[in-house]
Amino acid sequence: MTFPLGFWDISLLLAVTAIILLITSELLSPHYGKTNILINKKKLRNTAIIVSLLFLITVAVRIATIILTP
Amino acid sequence: MRANSAKIVYSTLIATGAVALATSIIYASSILAFIGLGLLFWGITFTFIRTEEYVKKALLDVTVSPQMAIINEIIQEMECEGNAIYLPPKYLSDPEAYKAYIPKQKEAELPTPEQTQKQDPQFFIAFIENPPAALLTPPGAELAKLFEKTLETNFTRVDLQYLQQNMPKLLIEDLEIAQNFEMETENDKIRVKIQNSVFNALNKVTEQPSSIYSAFGSPLSSAIACALAKSTGKPIIIEKQQTSEDGRDVTIDYRILEEEEQTEP
Repeated sequence: MTFPLGFWDISLLLAVTAIILLITSELLSPHYGKTNILINKKKLRNTAIIVSLLFLITVAVRIATIILTP
Repeated sequence: MRANSAKIVYSTLIATGAVALATSIIYASSILAFIGLGLLFWGITFTFIRTEEYVKKALLDVTVSPQMAIINEIIQEMECEGNAIYLPPKYLSDPEAYKAYIPKQKEAELPTPEQTQKQDPQFFIAFIENPPAALLTPPGAELAKLFEKTLETNFTRVDLQYLQQNMPKLLIEDLEIAQNFEMETENDKIRVKIQNSVFNALNKVTEQPSSIYSAFGSPLSSAIACALAKSTGKPIIIEKQQTSEDGRDVTIDYRILEEEEQTEP
């Protein structure tokens, strides 16, 4: 019994999720007018940023692996 | 009811996601693992980004109006005809408080800090006999305190430039009171433009000359006046308030009063 997803699969999942969250958070921003979606926009934006950062960390790991692998 | 349905949705997402993830490990299926992780992630996200507590705008209008009506009735009973002057902390015994001074006559001189400190009301209102005036808590006082709390600052420690830079973000993003906010300063005049604020209905009423709200302006214009008085350290008066035809845009002109100045321009 092994977990079927690798590091890069998780990275892809994070990338897709981050894009969805970032776009949603930007569309719901009060700068573009009031929406009827009752959601905590501050928390949504923070979540989007955190997921984006997690994805960027996986990218950094990938770059580090390429550089450090002989 | 809506909260319960939301709870059911995110609980279902988390449960389904966990089951899919466990099954994917047993059968070594990457598709199931993707589905499981996705569902689990969105379930956790929905739990975290829960709906904030909102109230309908109609409720705000009907609850704020009577309170302002009472204040203005008291002022009318006292036959105070002057404009409200928002006092800075040096005029008050409690520097954290927000007070407005309303003289009985239209052309009245500003009181001295000693006069107002002596009469500083511990409760909501105090009456001054010489010169005849009322000293009371303006309707925007609590909103101004909320501004300070949200900005994590005290307006006595900041200047006008700080307000110019931070008020737009505060009102648009943090408190979502208005859709747009601009503040321009020119000598002793400060012009504030607010677009589509939650106090639109009250703004319209405020401008009518015989309006019961005319002494203070709307709660938002009163709160901004409180913030200006505290940050500039000088008395502030609301000179003019104009609302656009459609009622969405409001322009408020404030004036910084110099000491020993008459309240009437």
